[in-house]
Amino acid sequence: MSQGQRLASTAREPGLIEGIGQRTWALAMRCYLRICHRLTVHGRERLPAQLPFVLIGNHTSHLDALVLSSLVPWRLRRWLFPIAAGDVFFETPARSALSALLLNALPMRRKQAGRHALDELRVRLLQDPCGFVLFPEGTRSANGELQPFKAGLGMLVAGTGVPVVPCHLEGAFTAWPRQARLPRPGRIVVRVGTPLVFATEPNERQGWERIADVTAQAVRQLAAVPPA
Amino acid sequence: MTHDPGERLFGWRHAFDHPATVWIATGVLGALAGAALLIQTLAATGRLSAATRTELWRRLGSWCVMAPLFLGPVLLGAAWTIGAVALLSLLCYREFARATGLFREREVSSLVVLGILAITFACIDHWYDLFMALTPLSVVMIAAVAVAADQPRGYIQRTALGVFAFMFFGTCLGHLGYFANDTGYRPMVLLILVTVELNDVFAYTCGRLFGRRKLAPATSPNKTWAGAIGAMVLTTLLMLALGALVFEGTEINRIEHLVALGLIVSVGGQLGDLMLSAIKRDLGLKDFAATIPGHGGLLDRFDSLILVAPAVFHYIGYLQGIGLNDARRILTGG
Repeated sequence: MSQGQRLASTAREPGLIEGIGQRTWALAMRCYLRICHRLTVHGRERLPAQLPFVLIGNHTSHLDALVLSSLVPWRLRRWLFPIAAGDVFFETPARSALSALLLNALPMRRKQAGRHALDELRVRLLQDPCGFVLFPEGTRSANGELQPFKAGLGMLVAGTGVPVVPCHLEGAFTAWPRQARLPRPGRIVVRVGTPLVFATEPNERQGWERIADVTAQAVRQLAAVPPA
Repeated sequence: MTHDPGERLFGWRHAFDHPATVWIATGVLGALAGAALLIQTLAATGRLSAATRTELWRRLGSWCVMAPLFLGPVLLGAAWTIGAVALLSLLCYREFARATGLFREREVSSLVVLGILAITFACIDHWYDLFMALTPLSVVMIAAVAVAADQPRGYIQRTALGVFAFMFFGTCLGHLGYFANDTGYRPMVLLILVTVELNDVFAYTCGRLFGRRKLAPATSPNKTWAGAIGAMVLTTLLMLALGALVFEGTEINRIEHLVALGLIVSVGGQLGDLMLSAIKRDLGLKDFAATIPGHGGLLDRFDSLILVAPAVFHYIGYLQGIGLNDARRILTGG
Protein backbone atom coordinates (compact mmCIF):
# COMPACT_ATOMS: atom_id res chain seq x y z
CA MET A 1 0.00 0.00 0.00
CA SER A 2 1.46 3.37 -0.96
CA GLN A 3 1.71 6.21 1.51
CA GLY A 4 -1.10 8.07 -0.30
CA GLN A 5 -3.42 5.06 -0.11
CA ARG A 6 -2.58 4.58 3.55
CA LEU A 7 -3.46 8.19 4.34
CA ALA A 8 -6.76 7.92 2.48
CA SER A 9 -7.69 4.59 4.05
CA THR A 10 -10.66 4.43 6.41
CA ALA A 11 -8.63 2.06 8.61
CA ARG A 12 -5.91 4.64 9.22
CA GLU A 13 -4.81 5.07 12.83
CA PRO A 14 -2.81 8.05 14.06
CA GLY A 15 0.78 7.40 15.18
CA LEU A 16 3.27 9.54 17.07
CA ILE A 17 3.89 12.06 14.29
CA GLU A 18 0.20 12.50 13.55
CA GLY A 19 -0.43 12.79 17.28
CA ILE A 20 2.01 15.68 17.56
CA GLY A 21 0.59 17.34 14.43
CA GLN A 22 -3.00 16.99 15.60
CA ARG A 23 -2.28 18.24 19.09
CA THR A 24 -0.47 21.31 17.79
CA TRP A 25 -3.26 22.00 15.32
CA ALA A 26 -5.95 21.48 17.98
CA LEU A 27 -4.22 23.91 20.36
CA ALA A 28 -3.89 26.50 17.60
CA MET A 29 -7.56 26.03 16.67
CA ARG A 30 -8.70 26.35 20.29
CA CYS A 31 -6.89 29.70 20.54
CA TYR A 32 -8.15 30.83 17.14
CA LEU A 33 -11.79 29.93 17.85
CA ARG A 34 -11.69 31.58 21.26
CA ILE A 35 -10.02 34.79 20.08
CA CYS A 36 -11.49 35.34 16.61
CA HIS A 37 -14.89 33.71 17.07
CA ARG A 38 -15.45 34.05 20.84
CA LEU A 39 -16.70 30.45 20.73
CA THR A 40 -19.50 29.88 23.23
CA VAL A 41 -20.77 26.38 24.03
CA HIS A 42 -24.12 25.58 25.62
CA GLY A 43 -24.81 22.10 26.96
CA ARG A 44 -21.25 20.77 26.82
CA GLU A 45 -22.16 18.48 29.75
CA ARG A 46 -24.45 16.51 27.40
CA LEU A 47 -21.47 15.15 25.46
CA PRO A 48 -20.97 11.45 26.25
CA ALA A 49 -17.90 10.80 28.39
CA GLN A 50 -17.00 7.64 26.51
CA LEU A 51 -16.63 6.40 22.96
CA PRO A 52 -18.30 5.58 20.66
CA PHE A 53 -20.50 8.52 19.65
CA VAL A 54 -21.32 10.55 16.56
CA LEU A 55 -21.44 14.34 16.65
CA ILE A 56 -23.67 15.86 14.01
CA GLY A 57 -24.59 19.42 13.16
CA ASN A 58 -25.81 21.84 10.55
CA HIS A 59 -23.16 22.41 7.89
CA THR A 60 -22.64 25.95 6.69
CA SER A 61 -18.88 26.44 6.75
CA HIS A 62 -15.45 24.83 6.83
CA LEU A 63 -15.24 25.95 10.47
CA ASP A 64 -17.98 23.51 11.53
CA ALA A 65 -15.84 20.38 11.86
CA LEU A 66 -13.12 22.32 13.68
CA VAL A 67 -15.67 23.73 16.13
CA LEU A 68 -17.35 20.39 16.86
CA SER A 69 -13.98 18.61 17.22
CA SER A 70 -12.84 21.24 19.71
CA LEU A 71 -15.74 20.31 22.03
CA VAL A 72 -14.32 16.84 22.67
CA PRO A 73 -11.87 16.43 25.57
CA TRP A 74 -8.29 15.72 24.61
CA ARG A 75 -8.14 12.15 25.90
CA LEU A 76 -10.78 11.15 23.33
CA ARG A 77 -9.52 13.34 20.51
CA ARG A 78 -7.09 10.74 19.24
CA TRP A 79 -10.00 8.49 18.35
CA LEU A 80 -12.23 11.27 17.03
CA PHE A 81 -12.43 11.31 13.26
CA PRO A 82 -14.19 14.02 11.28
CA ILE A 83 -15.73 12.32 8.24
CA ALA A 84 -14.64 14.44 5.28
CA ALA A 85 -15.55 14.43 1.61
CA GLY A 86 -13.05 12.08 -0.03
CA ASP A 87 -13.37 13.90 -3.34
CA VAL A 88 -12.15 17.15 -1.77
CA PHE A 89 -10.02 16.44 1.29
CA PHE A 90 -8.35 13.29 -0.04
CA GLU A 91 -8.11 14.23 -3.71
CA THR A 92 -4.33 14.52 -3.89
CA PRO A 93 -1.61 12.96 -1.72
CA ALA A 94 -0.70 16.41 -0.36
CA ARG A 95 -4.27 17.11 0.72
CA SER A 96 -4.58 13.60 2.16
CA ALA A 97 -1.44 14.23 4.19
CA LEU A 98 -2.80 17.48 5.62
CA SER A 99 -6.26 16.05 6.31
CA ALA A 100 -4.73 13.04 8.06
CA LEU A 101 -1.90 14.82 9.84
CA LEU A 102 -3.80 17.84 11.18
CA LEU A 103 -7.52 17.03 11.12
CA ASN A 104 -7.43 13.26 11.70
CA ALA A 105 -10.13 13.12 9.01
CA LEU A 106 -11.38 9.91 7.40
CA PRO A 107 -12.57 10.00 3.81
CA MET A 108 -16.05 9.27 2.53
CA ARG A 109 -16.47 9.15 -1.22
CA ARG A 110 -19.72 11.03 -1.71
CA LYS A 111 -20.31 9.70 -5.21
CA GLN A 112 -20.35 6.13 -3.96
CA ALA A 113 -21.60 6.61 -0.42
CA GLY A 114 -23.65 3.45 -0.63
CA ARG A 115 -24.25 1.03 2.12
CA HIS A 116 -21.05 -0.91 1.45
CA ALA A 117 -18.79 2.13 1.58
CA LEU A 118 -20.23 3.09 4.93
CA ASP A 119 -20.00 -0.44 6.34
CA GLU A 120 -16.26 -0.07 6.96
CA LEU A 121 -16.90 3.05 8.98
CA ARG A 122 -19.82 1.44 10.82
CA VAL A 123 -17.69 -1.53 11.85
CA ARG A 124 -14.87 0.73 12.95
CA LEU A 125 -17.20 2.96 14.97
CA LEU A 126 -18.31 -0.04 17.02
CA GLN A 127 -15.11 -2.06 17.22
CA ASP A 128 -12.37 0.49 17.93
CA PRO A 129 -14.50 2.17 19.33
CA CYS A 130 -14.18 5.69 18.02
CA GLY A 131 -16.03 8.95 17.56
CA PHE A 132 -17.14 10.60 14.33
CA VAL A 133 -17.94 14.18 13.46
CA LEU A 134 -20.21 14.34 10.45
CA PHE A 135 -22.72 16.54 8.71
CA PRO A 136 -25.78 14.62 7.50
CA GLU A 137 -26.65 17.33 4.94
CA GLY A 138 -23.72 15.97 2.94
CA THR A 139 -22.39 19.37 1.94
CA ARG A 140 -22.22 22.97 3.11
CA SER A 141 -25.45 24.89 2.81
CA ALA A 142 -25.37 27.66 0.20
CA ASN A 143 -27.69 30.01 2.10
CA GLY A 144 -27.12 29.05 5.71
CA GLU A 145 -30.49 27.25 5.99
CA LEU A 146 -30.66 23.62 7.09
CA GLN A 147 -30.83 21.24 4.11
CA PRO A 148 -32.55 17.82 4.20
CA PHE A 149 -30.49 15.14 5.98
CA LYS A 150 -29.17 12.23 3.91
CA ALA A 151 -29.44 8.55 4.80
CA GLY A 152 -25.71 8.06 5.49
CA LEU A 153 -25.96 8.80 9.21
CA GLY A 154 -28.59 6.07 9.54
CA MET A 155 -26.34 3.56 7.78
CA LEU A 156 -23.76 4.13 10.49
CA VAL A 157 -25.90 3.99 13.62
CA ALA A 158 -29.18 2.17 12.85
CA GLY A 159 -29.62 -0.79 15.18
CA THR A 160 -26.62 0.09 17.34
CA GLY A 161 -26.35 1.65 20.77
CA VAL A 162 -24.10 4.44 19.48
CA PRO A 163 -25.40 7.81 20.72
CA VAL A 164 -25.86 10.53 18.13
CA VAL A 165 -25.31 13.99 19.60
CA PRO A 166 -27.16 16.71 17.69
CA CYS A 167 -25.46 20.12 17.71
CA HIS A 168 -26.37 23.44 16.23
CA LEU A 169 -23.82 26.03 15.15
CA GLU A 170 -24.79 29.65 14.88
CA GLY A 171 -22.58 32.31 13.33
CA ALA A 172 -20.34 29.98 11.33
CA PHE A 173 -22.16 30.86 8.11
CA THR A 174 -21.55 34.57 8.61
CA ALA A 175 -17.92 33.91 9.56
CA TRP A 176 -17.05 31.76 6.56
CA PRO A 177 -19.84 31.27 4.01
CA ARG A 178 -19.37 28.95 1.10
CA GLN A 179 -18.66 31.81 -1.28
CA ALA A 180 -15.82 33.32 0.78
CA ARG A 181 -12.22 32.29 0.32
CA LEU A 182 -11.16 33.04 3.89
CA PRO A 183 -12.95 33.26 7.24
CA ARG A 184 -13.50 36.54 9.01
CA PRO A 185 -13.93 37.10 12.74
CA GLY A 186 -17.42 36.74 14.17
CA ARG A 187 -19.10 35.16 17.16
CA ILE A 188 -19.94 31.43 16.96
CA VAL A 189 -22.38 29.79 19.37
CA VAL A 190 -22.76 26.00 19.64
CA ARG A 191 -25.68 24.30 21.31
CA VAL A 192 -25.24 20.65 22.22
CA GLY A 193 -28.44 18.61 22.37
CA THR A 194 -29.40 15.45 24.23
CA PRO A 195 -27.83 12.30 22.72
CA LEU A 196 -30.21 10.12 20.69
CA VAL A 197 -29.92 6.33 20.40
CA PHE A 198 -31.38 4.30 17.53
CA ALA A 199 -30.90 0.78 18.88
CA THR A 200 -34.27 -0.47 17.61
CA GLU A 201 -34.26 1.14 14.16
CA PRO A 202 -33.76 -1.43 11.37
CA ASN A 203 -30.61 -0.98 9.31
CA GLU A 204 -32.50 -0.38 6.05
CA ARG A 205 -34.03 2.43 4.04
CA GLN A 206 -37.03 3.04 6.36
CA GLY A 207 -34.87 3.15 9.46
CA TRP A 208 -32.34 5.47 7.83
CA GLU A 209 -35.06 7.88 6.79
CA ARG A 210 -36.60 7.95 10.26
CA ILE A 211 -33.16 8.61 11.75
CA ALA A 212 -32.62 11.44 9.27
CA ASP A 213 -36.00 12.96 10.24
CA VAL A 214 -35.51 12.65 13.98
CA THR A 215 -31.97 14.07 13.97
CA ALA A 216 -32.86 16.92 11.60
CA GLN A 217 -35.76 17.77 13.91
CA ALA A 218 -33.41 17.73 16.92
CA VAL A 219 -30.98 20.14 15.22
CA ARG A 220 -33.86 22.42 14.22
CA GLN A 221 -35.15 22.51 17.79
CA LEU A 222 -31.70 23.50 19.04
CA ALA A 223 -31.68 26.33 16.50
CA ALA A 224 -34.97 27.59 17.90
CA VAL A 225 -33.74 27.74 21.51
CA PRO A 226 -33.26 31.39 22.51
CA PRO A 227 -29.73 32.24 23.67
CA ALA A 228 -29.29 31.58 27.39
CA MET B 1 44.31 12.02 10.02
CA THR B 2 43.15 14.77 12.31
CA HIS B 3 42.26 14.83 15.98
CA ASP B 4 39.99 17.85 15.76
CA PRO B 5 36.40 16.64 16.43
CA GLY B 6 35.02 19.37 14.15
CA GLU B 7 37.03 17.95 11.27
CA ARG B 8 35.82 14.45 12.08
CA LEU B 9 32.18 15.52 12.32
CA PHE B 10 32.01 17.79 9.28
CA GLY B 11 35.34 17.46 7.47
CA TRP B 12 34.21 16.24 4.07
CA ARG B 13 37.63 17.12 2.65
CA HIS B 14 38.99 14.08 4.46
CA ALA B 15 36.52 11.76 2.74
CA PHE B 16 39.15 9.95 0.73
CA ASP B 17 42.08 10.16 3.18
CA HIS B 18 42.17 6.40 3.63
CA PRO B 19 42.93 4.36 0.48
CA ALA B 20 40.41 1.69 1.53
CA THR B 21 37.60 4.26 1.34
CA VAL B 22 38.54 4.99 -2.25
CA TRP B 23 38.62 1.30 -3.07
CA ILE B 24 35.26 0.52 -1.48
CA ALA B 25 33.48 3.57 -2.94
CA THR B 26 34.78 2.85 -6.43
CA GLY B 27 33.99 -0.82 -5.95
CA VAL B 28 30.35 -0.07 -5.05
CA LEU B 29 29.85 2.25 -8.03
CA GLY B 30 31.65 -0.23 -10.28
CA ALA B 31 29.49 -3.11 -9.04
CA LEU B 32 26.31 -1.15 -9.77
CA ALA B 33 27.52 -0.31 -13.28
CA GLY B 34 28.63 -3.93 -13.78
CA ALA B 35 25.25 -5.25 -12.65
CA ALA B 36 23.46 -2.92 -15.06
CA LEU B 37 25.71 -4.11 -17.87
CA LEU B 38 25.15 -7.75 -16.94
CA ILE B 39 21.36 -7.40 -16.90
CA GLN B 40 21.51 -5.55 -20.21
CA THR B 41 23.66 -8.28 -21.79
CA LEU B 42 21.52 -11.12 -20.47
CA ALA B 43 18.40 -9.34 -21.66
CA ALA B 44 19.88 -8.65 -25.08
CA THR B 45 20.82 -12.30 -25.58
CA GLY B 46 17.30 -13.28 -24.57
CA ARG B 47 18.28 -15.29 -21.51
CA LEU B 48 15.98 -13.45 -19.15
CA SER B 49 12.21 -13.60 -19.07
CA ALA B 50 10.48 -10.23 -19.23
CA ALA B 51 9.25 -10.59 -15.64
CA THR B 52 12.71 -11.42 -14.23
CA ARG B 53 14.23 -8.55 -16.18
CA THR B 54 11.73 -6.02 -14.81
CA GLU B 55 12.26 -7.34 -11.30
CA LEU B 56 16.06 -7.15 -11.62
CA TRP B 57 15.93 -3.59 -12.98
CA ARG B 58 13.62 -2.58 -10.15
CA ARG B 59 15.97 -4.01 -7.53
CA LEU B 60 19.02 -2.45 -9.17
CA GLY B 61 17.19 0.88 -9.44
CA SER B 62 16.53 0.76 -5.70
CA TRP B 63 20.21 0.01 -5.05
CA CYS B 64 21.20 2.98 -7.19
CA VAL B 65 19.15 5.18 -4.85
CA MET B 66 20.23 3.44 -1.63
CA ALA B 67 23.98 3.26 -2.32
CA PRO B 68 24.45 7.07 -2.52
CA LEU B 69 22.17 7.49 0.52
CA PHE B 70 24.63 5.37 2.50
CA LEU B 71 27.91 6.35 0.88
CA GLY B 72 27.04 10.06 1.00
CA PRO B 73 26.70 10.58 4.77
CA VAL B 74 29.68 8.31 5.56
CA LEU B 75 31.91 10.26 3.18
CA LEU B 76 30.59 13.69 4.25
CA GLY B 77 31.43 13.35 7.93
CA ALA B 78 30.71 11.69 11.26
CA ALA B 79 27.78 13.98 12.09
CA TRP B 80 26.04 13.01 8.86
CA THR B 81 26.78 9.34 9.48
CA ILE B 82 25.30 9.44 12.98
CA GLY B 83 22.32 11.41 11.66
CA ALA B 84 21.72 8.89 8.88
CA VAL B 85 21.88 5.99 11.34
CA ALA B 86 19.43 7.77 13.64
CA LEU B 87 17.03 8.29 10.74
CA LEU B 88 17.38 4.64 9.75
CA SER B 89 16.69 3.56 13.35
CA LEU B 90 13.60 5.77 13.59
CA LEU B 91 12.20 4.62 10.24
CA CYS B 92 12.86 0.96 11.07
CA TYR B 93 11.17 1.47 14.43
CA ARG B 94 8.21 3.06 12.71
CA GLU B 95 7.77 0.01 10.49
CA PHE B 96 8.13 -2.28 13.50
CA ALA B 97 5.68 -0.30 15.61
CA ARG B 98 3.11 -0.21 12.82
CA ALA B 99 3.48 -3.94 12.17
CA THR B 100 3.23 -5.00 15.80
CA GLY B 101 0.67 -2.42 16.90
CA LEU B 102 3.09 -0.95 19.45
CA PHE B 103 2.33 2.51 18.05
CA ARG B 104 -1.04 2.36 19.82
CA GLU B 105 0.79 2.38 23.18
CA ARG B 106 1.67 6.01 22.96
CA GLU B 107 3.73 6.28 26.18
CA VAL B 108 5.92 3.24 25.46
CA SER B 109 6.29 4.24 21.82
CA SER B 110 7.34 7.78 22.75
CA LEU B 111 9.95 6.37 25.12
CA VAL B 112 11.46 4.18 22.43
CA VAL B 113 11.72 7.21 20.13
CA LEU B 114 13.21 9.33 22.93
CA GLY B 115 15.67 6.51 23.66
CA ILE B 116 16.79 6.43 20.03
CA LEU B 117 17.24 10.22 20.09
CA ALA B 118 19.24 9.97 23.34
CA ILE B 119 21.47 7.27 21.83
CA THR B 120 22.04 9.60 18.87
CA PHE B 121 23.01 12.39 21.26
CA ALA B 122 25.48 10.10 23.05
CA CYS B 123 27.00 9.20 19.67
CA ILE B 124 27.36 12.82 18.53
CA ASP B 125 28.76 13.83 21.92
CA HIS B 126 31.16 10.86 21.93
CA TRP B 127 30.01 9.99 25.45
CA TYR B 128 30.59 6.27 25.74
CA ASP B 129 29.34 5.94 29.32
CA LEU B 130 26.00 7.49 28.45
CA PHE B 131 25.79 5.40 25.28
CA MET B 132 26.17 2.26 27.39
CA ALA B 133 23.98 3.49 30.25
CA LEU B 134 21.07 4.28 27.94
CA THR B 135 20.21 0.63 27.36
CA PRO B 136 19.47 -0.27 31.00
CA LEU B 137 18.02 3.17 31.67
CA SER B 138 15.60 2.95 28.75
CA VAL B 139 14.51 -0.53 29.76
CA VAL B 140 13.84 0.71 33.30
CA MET B 141 11.94 3.74 31.97
CA ILE B 142 9.80 1.65 29.63
CA ALA B 143 8.93 -0.83 32.37
CA ALA B 144 8.17 1.98 34.83
CA VAL B 145 6.11 4.20 32.54
CA ALA B 146 4.11 1.27 31.21
CA VAL B 147 3.06 0.37 34.75
CA ALA B 148 2.04 3.94 35.55
CA ALA B 149 -0.96 3.66 33.24
CA ASP B 150 -2.50 1.20 35.77
CA GLN B 151 -3.66 -1.16 33.04
CA PRO B 152 -2.22 -4.59 33.84
CA ARG B 153 -3.91 -6.18 30.82
CA GLY B 154 -1.28 -6.43 28.07
CA TYR B 155 1.50 -5.11 30.34
CA ILE B 156 3.96 -7.89 29.48
CA GLN B 157 3.30 -7.49 25.78
CA ARG B 158 3.71 -3.74 25.56
CA THR B 159 6.73 -3.63 27.85
CA ALA B 160 8.41 -6.52 26.06
CA LEU B 161 7.71 -5.04 22.63
CA GLY B 162 9.05 -1.67 23.74
CA VAL B 163 12.23 -3.17 25.19
CA PHE B 164 12.70 -5.42 22.15
CA ALA B 165 12.28 -2.47 19.77
CA PHE B 166 14.64 -0.24 21.73
CA MET B 167 17.30 -2.98 21.92
CA PHE B 168 17.29 -3.57 18.20
CA PHE B 169 16.70 -0.14 16.72
CA GLY B 170 18.20 1.98 19.49
CA THR B 171 21.07 0.00 20.95
CA CYS B 172 22.05 -2.35 18.13
CA LEU B 173 21.76 0.06 15.21
CA GLY B 174 23.17 2.81 17.43
CA HIS B 175 26.50 0.95 17.49
CA LEU B 176 26.81 1.59 13.78
CA GLY B 177 26.54 5.31 14.49
CA TYR B 178 29.00 5.11 17.38
CA PHE B 179 31.68 3.80 15.00
CA ALA B 180 31.79 7.35 13.61
CA ASN B 181 33.61 8.49 16.77
CA ASP B 182 36.78 6.86 15.51
CA THR B 183 38.91 9.12 13.33
CA GLY B 184 39.25 6.20 10.90
CA TYR B 185 35.53 5.41 10.87
CA ARG B 186 34.92 5.80 7.12
CA PRO B 187 36.58 2.61 5.87
CA MET B 188 35.28 0.63 8.88
CA VAL B 189 31.64 1.64 8.46
CA LEU B 190 31.80 1.15 4.70
CA LEU B 191 33.40 -2.25 5.24
CA ILE B 192 30.54 -3.32 7.50
CA LEU B 193 27.83 -2.01 5.16
CA VAL B 194 29.40 -3.58 2.07
CA THR B 195 30.14 -6.97 3.64
CA VAL B 196 26.70 -7.21 5.26
CA GLU B 197 24.86 -6.35 2.07
CA LEU B 198 27.06 -8.57 -0.11
CA ASN B 199 26.62 -11.38 2.42
CA ASP B 200 22.89 -11.26 1.60
CA VAL B 201 23.67 -11.31 -2.11
CA PHE B 202 26.10 -14.24 -1.65
CA ALA B 203 23.55 -16.23 0.34
CA TYR B 204 20.89 -15.59 -2.30
CA THR B 205 23.16 -16.47 -5.22
CA CYS B 206 24.70 -19.61 -3.66
CA GLY B 207 21.24 -20.72 -2.58
CA ARG B 208 19.88 -20.31 -6.09
CA LEU B 209 22.86 -22.10 -7.64
CA PHE B 210 23.48 -25.00 -5.25
CA GLY B 211 20.69 -24.91 -2.69
CA ARG B 212 18.91 -28.14 -1.90
CA ARG B 213 18.44 -28.63 1.83
CA LYS B 214 16.32 -26.04 3.58
CA LEU B 215 17.89 -24.12 6.44
CA ALA B 216 14.78 -23.16 8.39
CA PRO B 217 11.75 -23.98 6.25
CA ALA B 218 9.20 -22.88 8.83
CA THR B 219 10.82 -19.47 9.28
CA SER B 220 12.00 -18.63 5.79
CA PRO B 221 11.29 -21.24 3.10
CA ASN B 222 13.78 -19.84 0.56
CA LYS B 223 16.90 -20.09 2.72
CA THR B 224 19.16 -23.12 2.17
CA TRP B 225 22.24 -24.61 3.82
CA ALA B 226 24.21 -24.13 0.62
CA GLY B 227 23.33 -20.44 0.64
CA ALA B 228 24.34 -20.07 4.28
CA ILE B 229 27.65 -21.89 3.93
CA GLY B 230 28.47 -20.29 0.59
CA ALA B 231 27.87 -16.87 2.09
CA MET B 232 30.10 -17.69 5.07
CA VAL B 233 32.96 -18.71 2.78
CA LEU B 234 32.60 -15.82 0.33
CA THR B 235 32.05 -13.15 2.99
CA THR B 236 35.09 -14.35 4.92
CA LEU B 237 37.19 -14.20 1.76
CA LEU B 238 35.86 -10.72 1.04
CA MET B 239 36.68 -9.68 4.60
CA LEU B 240 40.22 -11.02 4.22
CA ALA B 241 40.73 -8.96 1.10
CA LEU B 242 38.98 -5.72 2.14
CA GLY B 243 39.86 -6.01 5.84
CA ALA B 244 43.57 -6.15 5.04
CA LEU B 245 43.19 -2.75 3.34
CA VAL B 246 40.96 -1.20 5.99
CA PHE B 247 42.90 -2.40 9.03
CA GLU B 248 46.37 -2.07 7.57
CA GLY B 249 48.92 -1.40 10.33
CA THR B 250 46.53 -2.18 13.19
CA GLU B 251 46.04 -5.01 15.65
CA ILE B 252 43.11 -6.47 13.69
CA ASN B 253 45.12 -7.04 10.52
CA ARG B 254 45.86 -10.68 11.24
CA ILE B 255 44.35 -13.62 9.48
CA GLU B 256 42.62 -15.07 12.54
CA HIS B 257 40.96 -11.74 13.38
CA LEU B 258 39.82 -11.09 9.82
CA VAL B 259 38.42 -14.62 9.55
CA ALA B 260 36.62 -14.09 12.84
CA LEU B 261 35.20 -10.77 11.59
CA GLY B 262 34.09 -12.39 8.33
CA LEU B 263 32.28 -15.13 10.25
CA ILE B 264 30.69 -12.62 12.63
CA VAL B 265 29.36 -10.59 9.71
CA SER B 266 28.12 -13.63 7.80
CA VAL B 267 26.53 -15.51 10.69
CA GLY B 268 25.22 -12.35 12.37
CA GLY B 269 23.81 -11.09 9.11
CA GLN B 270 22.00 -14.30 8.32
CA LEU B 271 20.69 -14.66 11.86
CA GLY B 272 19.42 -11.09 11.75
CA ASP B 273 17.67 -11.90 8.51
CA LEU B 274 16.10 -15.03 10.01
CA MET B 275 15.15 -13.15 13.15
CA LEU B 276 13.14 -10.59 11.19
CA SER B 277 11.64 -13.42 9.11
CA ALA B 278 10.51 -15.08 12.32
CA ILE B 279 8.95 -11.82 13.48
CA LYS B 280 7.15 -11.43 10.15
CA ARG B 281 5.95 -15.05 10.27
CA ASP B 282 4.70 -14.55 13.79
CA LEU B 283 2.78 -11.45 12.69
CA GLY B 284 1.57 -13.08 9.48
CA LEU B 285 3.20 -10.51 7.18
CA LYS B 286 5.12 -10.87 3.96
CA ASP B 287 6.96 -7.55 4.03
CA PHE B 288 7.08 -4.83 6.68
CA ALA B 289 6.23 -2.10 4.20
CA ALA B 290 6.59 -1.14 0.55
CA THR B 291 9.15 1.63 0.98
CA ILE B 292 11.85 0.25 -1.34
CA PRO B 293 10.65 -1.08 -4.71
CA GLY B 294 11.68 -4.72 -5.15
CA HIS B 295 12.90 -5.07 -1.57
CA GLY B 296 9.92 -4.37 0.69
CA GLY B 297 10.29 -2.19 3.76
CA LEU B 298 13.46 -0.71 5.18
CA LEU B 299 13.47 -3.46 7.79
CA ASP B 300 13.35 -6.14 5.11
CA ARG B 301 16.51 -4.68 3.63
CA PHE B 302 18.51 -3.73 6.71
CA ASP B 303 17.54 -6.56 9.05
CA SER B 304 20.98 -8.14 8.62
CA LEU B 305 22.71 -5.05 10.07
CA ILE B 306 20.93 -5.23 13.41
CA LEU B 307 22.96 -8.07 14.97
CA VAL B 308 26.17 -7.42 13.06
CA ALA B 309 26.70 -3.81 14.19
CA PRO B 310 27.15 -4.48 17.94
CA ALA B 311 29.04 -7.75 17.41
CA VAL B 312 31.64 -6.19 15.11
CA PHE B 313 31.78 -3.06 17.26
CA HIS B 314 32.70 -4.95 20.40
CA TYR B 315 35.11 -7.30 18.61
CA ILE B 316 37.08 -4.35 17.24
CA GLY B 317 36.56 -2.41 20.45
CA TYR B 318 37.98 -5.24 22.55
CA LEU B 319 41.07 -5.64 20.39
CA GLN B 320 42.00 -2.04 19.66
CA GLY B 321 39.32 0.27 21.00
CA ILE B 322 37.06 2.63 19.05
CA GLY B 323 37.41 6.38 19.14
CA LEU B 324 40.26 6.32 21.65
CA ASN B 325 42.30 8.85 19.74
CA ASP B 326 39.62 11.50 19.49
CA ALA B 327 38.22 14.07 21.94
CA ARG B 328 35.43 12.76 24.19
CA ARG B 329 32.22 14.47 25.32
CA ILE B 330 32.44 17.19 22.71
CA LEU B 331 29.18 18.88 23.69
CA THR B 332 28.89 18.15 27.40
CA GLY B 333 32.59 18.47 28.25
CA GLY B 334 34.15 16.34 30.92
